[in-house]
Amino acid sequence: MYSVKRLMKNALGLDIAGRMLAVRPDDTFIVSYPRSGNSWTRFLVANLLHPEQPVTFANIEDMVPDAEALSSRRLRALPSPRVIKSHSYFDHRFPRVIYIVRDPRDVALSYYDFSRKYRHFDDSYPLERYIGDFVGGRLTSADWGTWAENVASWAFARGARPGFLLLRYEDMKARPEQELTRVAEFFGIEASPERLQTILERSSAKRMRDLEKTQGKDWVSTKNKRDDIPFVRTAVAGEWKSKLPPELVAVIESAWGNIMVQLGYELVTRNTDSTQMQWTAPLEAGSLPQR
Amino acid sequence: MLRHIKAGVKRALGLHRPGRSLVILPDDVFLVSFPKSGNTWTRFLLGNLMFPDQPATFANIHRLIPDPTGTSKKDFEQMPRPRIIKSHDCFDPRFPRVIYIVRDPRDVVVSQYHYHRKIRKIEDDSPIEKFVTRFLAGETCPHGSWGQNISTWLYTSEGSPRFLLLRYEDMLVDAARELNKVAAFLQIPVDAERIATAVRRSAADEMRKLEKSQAHLWSTTKSTRQDVPFVRAAKAGGWRTELPEEAALQLEAEWGHIMAHLGYELLSPAGTTNPDSRFVETILNGPSR
Repeated sequence: MYSVKRLMKNALGLDIAGRMLAVRPDDTFIVSYPRSGNSWTRFLVANLLHPEQPVTFANIEDMVPDAEALSSRRLRALPSPRVIKSHSYFDHRFPRVIYIVRDPRDVALSYYDFSRKYRHFDDSYPLERYIGDFVGGRLTSADWGTWAENVASWAFARGARPGFLLLRYEDMKARPEQELTRVAEFFGIEASPERLQTILERSSAKRMRDLEKTQGKDWVSTKNKRDDIPFVRTAVAGEWKSKLPPELVAVIESAWGNIMVQLGYELVTRNTDSTQMQWTAPLEAGSLPQR
Repeated sequence: MLRHIKAGVKRALGLHRPGRSLVILPDDVFLVSFPKSGNTWTRFLLGNLMFPDQPATFANIHRLIPDPTGTSKKDFEQMPRPRIIKSHDCFDPRFPRVIYIVRDPRDVVVSQYHYHRKIRKIEDDSPIEKFVTRFLAGETCPHGSWGQNISTWLYTSEGSPRFLLLRYEDMLVDAARELNKVAAFLQIPVDAERIATAVRRSAADEMRKLEKSQAHLWSTTKSTRQDVPFVRAAKAGGWRTELPEEAALQLEAEWGHIMAHLGYELLSPAGTTNPDSRFVETILNGPSR
């Protein structure tokens, strides 16, 4: 039905930009599936590009705005070149993209808590059922595609071509200076070790947690959400090893094992029968370097 | 101002084209391809298969197999279900079922080159080499590059029961056989005669005849050069005579690994360059190693 409210919003530019965002040729996007280290990367990039003012949840939307939370008008008002955050599946219009990928076994645990925070379901919702939804693309916020769809649509379409930087959350945790250097290079910035340290400190999980405590009620992504569950969670890699029951690990690996292996995530389930991803990838397995 | 009022009235009456705001129904089927890959032919085949009582023409195809950027919202709402919807989009998780038509990019680039002459985007004497460079960069249409478009679908959907991949070249060899695959995918009962009729009504010669009399009615062709046809050769392998070898090799260097995966024979040895395999090395090895 014809919606007057929507038409008014569109006319006034109050509609959420989302996929209708007008992309500029000098835009850079920070893209990931949800719960994959996107906010951390936003802080890192914002602290890299704005050394004069430490980033907080109160100013992050002016430095690295969220295309899926802010209005078209607000995004239009920002000066070029913009750095924009998105969870969108492949969009050919995005000129430059930093894509962060995270082990889906950890993403699942983080997303489960996030969904409780967002009141998509209550605390009694079984994790087992959630993992089924996660793999089957039945999440409340399924607009991003599944983890595998989101990751594959970007990583394999853009590959190692110019204007595309692929980061693994796990590498960022293991060797932050090194990965941050790659990010700086992507922006054409040569950062000294001291500058890297400052950026990392200003973007640390501890600092972000402290900021969330005081600013969480005002930030567009956390306001009116449950405040007994934090947005900035454990910020560790490999939590699934102790927290995700083996049979649920198996559910994820059997659905997405092929693509996980391509991205360097080792599988623990034996004889994984990958039902959803039966393609013989044009990427030959032999091209994977030995670690 | 007048333009805004006109758009508002159109919207109120449902006469606007929904584009991305199309409300997708759970039983919708999307007919997807990169442009110039046999999408219109397949549209005719499916239109004629699904609606045997009203042969597909350029005047009614937008109502039989609608296009979110070419069919009005009202027409969308009046369609019988399941709807088969035409699209050139890259991967979209909202599409419940997808039939994807792929065509050898060496032929696609030649076809798109001639199409750009038709729509007056390039001159007749514009060198094809220049066009190939822009084609590789995804600058010749608003749907990503050929490699991006197919990659986003293959890597997310190949092997899924909700995804049917057809090659244009296979359809040329035996359209009835491929149309049977579509009918099975759509789970609609068909007999050999209905398939044969659909194939006959959608033959290139039939479409050419229709184009001659209806090109001025169809939104895609109405304000384009009438001396360059929309329905072109409808053949496979035209690139061997029309595309300089150097240009074909350029396409293979960029997309050879995907082309080989799809069964397209390469001039150059397979897998010489695969930019997509390098990204794995890049992420695993970190910077400059």
